[in-house]
Amino acid sequence: MTTLTSVARVEAYALGRAVPIATRRHLQVSDRPLVFVPLGMAGEANAPLACLVGDTPASPTLLVVPQPRNRDLRFAFAAQLADVVLSYVDSFTTAMDLVKDKAVFTDAPQLVVANPAAVEFTRLLGRSTRFRRADGPYPVDPAVPLLGRWLTWFADATERPGSSVTIALTDALAQIWATGQSALEDANLAALMGWIEPWDGLTGQQAAAQAEDPALWPPAGPATDPDFDERVLAGLIKSYDLASDGDERTRAEATIAAALRSQLEPTWRLMWRAVELLRSVEPASTVERRWLRDRQTFTTQVEYWRDGGAPQPRVDHAVRAAQRLAWLERDLDEFTVERALDDPLAMAEYRLSGEAFVGRVISVDATRVDTSGKRRKPRPLVVLATRDPVRLEPGTTVRSAARPGQDCRVISVAPLPAAPAEPANGAAPDVFVPMAVTLELVSGMGRALTPAPGSVPEVDDELCYSALVTNAGVQPKFPSREETPWTHGGPPVSPEVDLPTVDDAVEDWS
Amino acid sequence: MRLSIEELERRMDDLRADMRRAAAAGHSDLVRDLRVELRGLEGEWDKALAGLARERPARTAGPSGPTPAASLLPLREQVHHALTLLTVPAAPRLIVAVHQAFFGASIPNARLTSLRRDEEKSFRSAPFARPYYLCPALTADRLAPSRGLLSVSTWPLVDRLVGPLSPRVHFLVSAIKIAEAIERAPEYVPEAVRLLARFAANIPGGGDGREPGTVASAARAELVIHEETDRIAREKAAKRTQRLTDVQRLFGVRLEAVSLVEDAG
Amino acid sequence: MTDVEERLRRIRGGGEGKRHNARTISALTSNPGCTRRAVADLAGVDKLALSRHVGFPGQFGQSPFAITRGQQFEAQVKADGCAELITLLREHLMLSLPEVSYEDLNDVGGNTDNRLRHLETRNKLGRRDEPGTLFDHPMLTLDVAGRQVFLEPDLIAFQVKGKFHIVEIKSFAVIDGQADGAKVAAAAIQSAVYVLALRDLVTAQGMSPDDVSHNVILVTPKDFSNRPMVTFVDVRKQLTVLRRQLSRLTRVEELLDLVPDGLSLSLDNDPHDVTFDLGSIEARYMPQCLNTCELARFCRHEAQGSTYAMGRTVTEELGGVQTVTDVLDLARGVLPPTPEQAEAAALLRLAWSIRRESLGNAA
Repeated sequence: MTTLTSVARVEAYALGRAVPIATRRHLQVSDRPLVFVPLGMAGEANAPLACLVGDTPASPTLLVVPQPRNRDLRFAFAAQLADVVLSYVDSFTTAMDLVKDKAVFTDAPQLVVANPAAVEFTRLLGRSTRFRRADGPYPVDPAVPLLGRWLTWFADATERPGSSVTIALTDALAQIWATGQSALEDANLAALMGWIEPWDGLTGQQAAAQAEDPALWPPAGPATDPDFDERVLAGLIKSYDLASDGDERTRAEATIAAALRSQLEPTWRLMWRAVELLRSVEPASTVERRWLRDRQTFTTQVEYWRDGGAPQPRVDHAVRAAQRLAWLERDLDEFTVERALDDPLAMAEYRLSGEAFVGRVISVDATRVDTSGKRRKPRPLVVLATRDPVRLEPGTTVRSAARPGQDCRVISVAPLPAAPAEPANGAAPDVFVPMAVTLELVSGMGRALTPAPGSVPEVDDELCYSALVTNAGVQPKFPSREETPWTHGGPPVSPEVDLPTVDDAVEDWS
Repeated sequence: MRLSIEELERRMDDLRADMRRAAAAGHSDLVRDLRVELRGLEGEWDKALAGLARERPARTAGPSGPTPAASLLPLREQVHHALTLLTVPAAPRLIVAVHQAFFGASIPNARLTSLRRDEEKSFRSAPFARPYYLCPALTADRLAPSRGLLSVSTWPLVDRLVGPLSPRVHFLVSAIKIAEAIERAPEYVPEAVRLLARFAANIPGGGDGREPGTVASAARAELVIHEETDRIAREKAAKRTQRLTDVQRLFGVRLEAVSLVEDAG
Repeated sequence: MTDVEERLRRIRGGGEGKRHNARTISALTSNPGCTRRAVADLAGVDKLALSRHVGFPGQFGQSPFAITRGQQFEAQVKADGCAELITLLREHLMLSLPEVSYEDLNDVGGNTDNRLRHLETRNKLGRRDEPGTLFDHPMLTLDVAGRQVFLEPDLIAFQVKGKFHIVEIKSFAVIDGQADGAKVAAAAIQSAVYVLALRDLVTAQGMSPDDVSHNVILVTPKDFSNRPMVTFVDVRKQLTVLRRQLSRLTRVEELLDLVPDGLSLSLDNDPHDVTFDLGSIEARYMPQCLNTCELARFCRHEAQGSTYAMGRTVTEELGGVQTVTDVLDLARGVLPPTPEQAEAAALLRLAWSIRRESLGNAA
C-alpha cells in the first residue's frame, strides 16, 4: 500500500468503479493458458473435492471425488487430473527456438488460478503426490508423481518475481486496478471483478456486495461455502456412502457432480473473463524478455526430468536456501526497476518519494569539459526544471529510460529563482515548489571530446530521471553443500535427493 | 448387497435429524423431499423385518473370518462379545473395532449411545432379570458413571472402577488380550493385526505390531509399572461402594446437588 | 443480581448469554479500541443473531466437514487415556514411564456446572502428594474487565520434573514442519489466554506462576495423514501483549458508563431501534473484522465513505485524513487545510498531481 495506490482507492470509491494504477501489464498472458478451479473439502489438509480444468473456455473438464476421504478415489482423481495437465504441458515441448546458441521451447505452459489460496492448494496437491510410487504397498498410477512435480513447479514459480508461469488472478488484477474497498476484500475474485466491470448497471460497491453472497456467487475456492456443505453436500456424500450397489453409487456420484459443477461454473466463466481483461491491457516492453526467462526455466526443467532428475526435495538444505534467497532478491530488484521504467504510473511512486523526477530542460552547456584528470573528458551540464519533490543527494547517479546507456551525476538541487505563480483555483500555491536540478553527463556521448550529435539533451526536452539501479553486481559466493557452516546446521546428513519413503504412502484414514 | 436392518435404522435416524434441522431453518421444500425418502426407507424396513425370519443371513464384504450369524445378533450380544475378549472397560470406538476385527460385522457407533440408556431402563423395570447388563464403568473418585466406558455387570466391581492410571492399564491389557486373540485365531485376521499395530505404535518396544508376542510382552513390561498403584486406588474406591443401591452399583452415582466445599486435597 | 449483571442482561435482552471464550478474548485484545464489540461480548450477546436482526445476515458458519474432522481428530488423540499423546510427550517432553495418569474434568460426577468443574480442576491440579499427568478439558477462569470468565483448554499436561503445559489440539495439518501462518498465530494467542488463566490458578494454589511453561504444546495432524505430531510454541510475546491489553481493558463499569442507559440489543425489539442502539456504541472498524467478528458487515456499512474502511494503512498513507471527501477535496486543492492537515494536504496534492500526469502520459 502506498500513498498513490491509496489515493487511487479513494478515487475508485468516489467514482463507483475501479481505476487503473498501472498503464501496462507486467505479466505475460498466454494465448492458451490452463485455467484450474479446484475445490477442497473443509477441514482436511488437502482433500480435493472437485475441479474444473482446461485450456478452452467452452470445454472444461469436470473431475469429482464423491468421497474425499476415500484414498482410492482421491488418487483416481489425481490420475485423471494428470491426464489433463500432463498433456497440456507436453503440448509445449514440440517446437524449439535457438536463443544464444541454446535451444529453448518456443512457448511455455501457464497455469491460471483464481487466488493465492488456490496456488497454495496446488502446491500442497503437488506435495502430496510427487513422492508417490507406482509400485510398493500403496501404488498409484505412474502419471500421478509426474503430475505432482509439475504442480509443484507451477506453485513454486509464483515465488520468482517477474515470472508469469502461474497467475493468481486476484493478485494480477490488483496490480493493475485499485478498487474502492480494502485489499482484504479484493481477495474475493467476484467482488474484485465487480469493481472492475460492474454488471447490470450497478456501481462497483453494489456489484461487490452481491458478489459476497455465496448464494448468488459461489466462492471461487478452494474453500467451499460452509452453508452449501451443510445444506447440500454433506447429505449427498452420505447418500454416496450408503449406496448399496454400483447403480446407486453411480447415481449418487452424478448428483454430487452436478452440485459441484454448479459451484464451479460461475468461477470458471469469471476467470476466463478476467484473462481476457488482462490480455486487453497493453504489455510492458520487458514482458517478452521475462517470458523468455520462463521459457528457459521450463526448458531446463523438462530436460532435467527427461534425463531422470529427481522430484523437488521436501525442504531446501541451508546452502540452497541461501542461494535461492539471493536470486530472489536480485530478481525482485530487477523486476521492480523494470516495472518503473516501463510504466509511468509505477515510476510515479519514485517521483513522490523523491528518488525520481520529471522535468523540462531549461539550459544546456554542451561544451563543458573536465580538465582535472590525465585525459580531458566531456562533461556537459544540463539543468531541468521540475515541480516534483526531488530528494536526490548531490553525487547520486541517475539515468533516464529515454536515454539508455547515459549515466548522469546530480550536481545540485535548488529552488528555481523566479518561480512563475501557479494558476491557482483558490488553493495555496506553495505546495509545488519549482526546483532546478543540475546534472552532469558522465557517459553515453561517444568517444570524442565533443559529444556525439544527439547524445546531449536539448532545451525543452521533457525527461524523467531516476536513481533506480539494479543489484547486478557481484554475486555472493556460497560454500558447497558439504561445507555448510555449523551456524547453518552443518552439512546435511540426508542424501542430496529426497526419495519417496514408505511414510509418504502410509496413511491412516480413520 | 441389501442393507441390513440396522443400517436402515441408522439411515432413518439420520434422515429424521436432517428433517428437524431443515424444518428449523425453514427449508420446507427440503423437508418434503426428505419425508418422501423417509417413507421409502420405512417401507424397506418393513420388508427387511419380514424377510429376517425367512432369509439366510447376508455376508458382509470386508474383513476375513466373519461369523455369518453375527450381524443378526442383538447389539448387546455383540458388545458383550467384544468386552469379554478385552476383559477391561472400553470405549465404543474400541468395542466396534474389536468386533469388526474378530467377529466380522460392524456395529453402528451411533447405536451404542442409546444402548446405555436402554440397559438402565431395562434393569430398573426388572432388576437382574437378564444374565448380564452392559453398564458404564464407574469413576473411582465419585463412583459416577464414566463418560465413555462400557463394562459388563457380572465383572467384579473393583474391575469396573476407573482410577487415574486405569485408562493406561486398560490400554495395555487390551493390547495383550487382542494379541492373545490373534494368536488363538484359527485363520489370519488382517484387520485385527492392523488394530494391534495401532496399540503397538504406542507401547515402548511394541514393534510394528506384526508380532503379537512382542506386543504382549512389551505391554506386560509397562503394565508392571502401573498395575499395583492402579489396583490400590480401585480397591480403596471399592470399599466405598458398600452403601450403594443396586442401580447405583451398576449405573453409577450422579452428583446432583452442588455443594462447593473445598477438598482438603 | 448485581447492578452490572442486570444492565448486561438488559443489553442482551435476557436469556442465558453466550460465553466468552479464548477466541473472543484474543479478539478483544487484537482490536482493543472497539467498545461495541467489548460490550457485546461482555453482555454475552449472540452477535450472529444480532447481525441478522439489524439486516446483515452473517456468513460465519463452519462447514460440517471441518467440525467433524476436528472432533474426530481430538477424539483420536484423547483415546485410551491419550495413548498417542503420551507416546509423543514421552519423546518430546521426556515424560517418564510411570507418568500416565489421566483425569477427566469434563464433568464432576456427571454434573457440568462451570463453577463446580473449576473447583474440581483447582483441587486436582493442586495436589502435591499425587500429582496427575494429563487433565482433560480442565475449567480455568480469567478476570476480563473485572468479570470472571470461564475458559476450557483441550488438555493440561504436568510433568513431575518440569512444569504444567497447555496442550491444544487443532486439526489443521503441519506439512514438512510448516503450517498456515494465520492458523498458528490464532492458536498461539488463544493458548496464551489459557496460559494466563492457568498461571492465575496455580498462584491461587500457592505455587509459582513460572510452574506454568510459556511453551504451549500444539497437537496437529502430521503431513497428509491422521497421525498426530507435537510442536512447541513459545507464546511469551503473546503473553506480553495479552497482559498489557487486558490491564488496559476498561473495567466493565466504566465501559457501561460509555453506553447510554436503557440501551438494549434485544432481538425482541424492533430492528430499527436495535440498529439505532447498536450504532450508538462506538466501534472501531477495520477490514480484518470481516474475518473475526460477526458484526463486521454492520460496522462496515456504517464506515462507508471513510478511508479506514479500506484499511488502517490506507488512512496512514493518506496522511491520516479520515474521509473520502476530505481526501479528494484536499488533493484537488479545493479545500483549504487546517494547520493539522497541512502536511497531509501537501502530500495529497503532490500525489494527485503526479498521478494525473502519469495517467495522462500513458500513451
